Amino acid sequence: MDLGLKGKKAVVTGATKGIGRRIVETLADEGVDIAICSRTAEEVEETLAVLRAKGINAVGEAVNVRDGEAYKAWISRAGEQLGGIDILIPNVSGGAGMDSEKNWQRNFEVDVMGSVRAVETAVPFLKKSGEGSVVFIVSTNAIETFAAPMAYNALKASLITYSKQLGQFHGKRRIRFNALSPGTIFVEGGAWDMIKTSQPDFYNATIAAHPFGRMGSAEEVAKAVAFLASPAASWINGTHLIVDGGYTKGVHF
Amino acid sequence: MPIKRVKPGDFTRTPIEKAPDPQLGHAIIAKERYTSPDFMKLEWERMWKRSWLMGCREDDIPEPGDYVCTEIGREAILIVRQADMSIRAFYNVCQHRGNRLVPPGIGKLKSFKCAYHHWEYGLDGDFVRIPDKETFPQGTPCQGLPEVPCDTWGSFVWYNLNKDAEPLREFLGVIPEHLDPYHFDRMAMTRDWTIEWDCNWKASVDAFNESYHVQGIHPQLLYYLDDLDIQIDCYDRHSRYLVPFATTSPRVKETSDIPPLIRLIMKQAGMDPADFDGKTREVRLAVQKWKRENGASQGYDYSDLNDDQLTDDYHYLIFPNITLNVHADDLMLFRQRPHPTDPNKMYYDLQNFRLLKQGEEKPERPEHRFYRHGEKSLGQVLDQDAYNLPGVQLGMQSEGFPGLWLGDQELRIRHFHKVIDDYVYGVGEAP
Repeated sequence: MDLGLKGKKAVVTGATKGIGRRIVETLADEGVDIAICSRTAEEVEETLAVLRAKGINAVGEAVNVRDGEAYKAWISRAGEQLGGIDILIPNVSGGAGMDSEKNWQRNFEVDVMGSVRAVETAVPFLKKSGEGSVVFIVSTNAIETFAAPMAYNALKASLITYSKQLGQFHGKRRIRFNALSPGTIFVEGGAWDMIKTSQPDFYNATIAAHPFGRMGSAEEVAKAVAFLASPAASWINGTHLIVDGGYTKGVHF
Repeated sequence: MPIKRVKPGDFTRTPIEKAPDPQLGHAIIAKERYTSPDFMKLEWERMWKRSWLMGCREDDIPEPGDYVCTEIGREAILIVRQADMSIRAFYNVCQHRGNRLVPPGIGKLKSFKCAYHHWEYGLDGDFVRIPDKETFPQGTPCQGLPEVPCDTWGSFVWYNLNKDAEPLREFLGVIPEHLDPYHFDRMAMTRDWTIEWDCNWKASVDAFNESYHVQGIHPQLLYYLDDLDIQIDCYDRHSRYLVPFATTSPRVKETSDIPPLIRLIMKQAGMDPADFDGKTREVRLAVQKWKRENGASQGYDYSDLNDDQLTDDYHYLIFPNITLNVHADDLMLFRQRPHPTDPNKMYYDLQNFRLLKQGEEKPERPEHRFYRHGEKSLGQVLDQDAYNLPGVQLGMQSEGFPGLWLGDQELRIRHFHKVIDDYVYGVGEAP
């Protein structure tokens, strides 16, 4: 099956590490031109070099997503530099934490507004695509109780609702919107890497609770994202795909 | 990315220069020193009895008549605040039939009266009253309680069982210059525990004198400190290492989320991790800057400390038995004392102190608690150390183990045993 991704242009936020990094590499392997951002210029440059080596056009900048104006300006610039946007993947996150009320502000600014601003800035580009597609990276923490009650969980959940409604609203502009929730994904330098070292008992208990006896990889998430984002998923709009190896317990009718 | 440190020319009162590493070779450290009653006797006669030892805090005995009875090996020493506010130290033993005068601990008395026949001594150790004195035709012993040298430094009271001891300051060497900037007198004790551990006292000192074990028994600290980029300095008999805190070890991948233990450091400084946009390995310098800018308004005077001292662990061994985790806002002090008779046991005194805000009233001193090994949690990190040590002591007795095989990260351990050898066998005379 050809996903139909070759020659498409994708903007992916927060793509130098972890799941985001794997998503852009997977898309690049499919021949997609890529625009990325992250907080640090060196990490952007390192990622761009890897992407360009795959023979695609890749652009990117250091951007702080919490700076709304700078962030929106970058999305526009990315669209212009790529010569259009077919795929938008709001992936960046403020991360988990229970430090203070500021965690709510942070997740609101980064996870929620980082997605909202990206969509609003990218829609003029996406509607010109004819095969526009947006995939919000959510989290299974949004659908099931996990670890602790955190702003991260509740605000990630808001993206599922937002995504569904966008899918109805922008259908006539031929833009599909879907949400995708990774489960427990092991990434070097990620939260589970730290937990594996610092709380081995908790780590092993979590592994044991997985039907496959392991955590997922960023690559397994990236492949699902690539499919949802691609023209091959042309009739999938407004859905929420859970990519967790069957770890969560809830039944979705 | 190497750790950025205070460098020559930057503000510091505590000397920061790297001391030249002593050339101590690579030989095995014989294990018998941990298990042998004969070595224990030599150590007692030649080292413990000739070293300045930490007795108590000055503020443990604020008023005349306040005393601390502290034990070291088979001895018990009375440290007594005098009428003129000076401090003197005596053997805690009645000169009549040898009974101990008071049990170990803190107390307040007008005089020390032996419970056996009521021989009574003043705060200055002189006889106050001997019942039926006329029935001793030979008279009374020429002295009252035998006195031992006693002095103060760093808010602590020190004593020496050698009446001809060198002055305390001479024994302490570089220590006052290094640690006075922390102003321990501005800190208040928050915990005072003693735990009986099933290991030799030196196994405990060793456990805190190297960072190599962090990747072994404290893996969670790899997301809290840099266990590889460490400055080790050995002096005449004391030593230190400088451990960067609020950062991650090069052994692990830097995390995008700031690790929980580092968040705790930020919060303790009054920073909000949720408001921090930098990377994990940028936190250390950000905390230093924050504390420098906000310390005074929070009531903390850091003006005598360099920037590194605002985050890092300056860890000192004051020979022979005091290990100190020194931080800007707190002090964690371990005093390792030998068991009176058994080389396979020790007493681990665990004292915590916290810096008081300017003008803050000193809280009441916590009561001393005594526990046996494993009876009470000491907190995750110290539990990990404590859990491990009885196994070390058992292994020391194995025919299959010749002695300690030390690496460069364990230079302070090698230096520590070299200094013990200098006391026990004479300088350069170790067998």
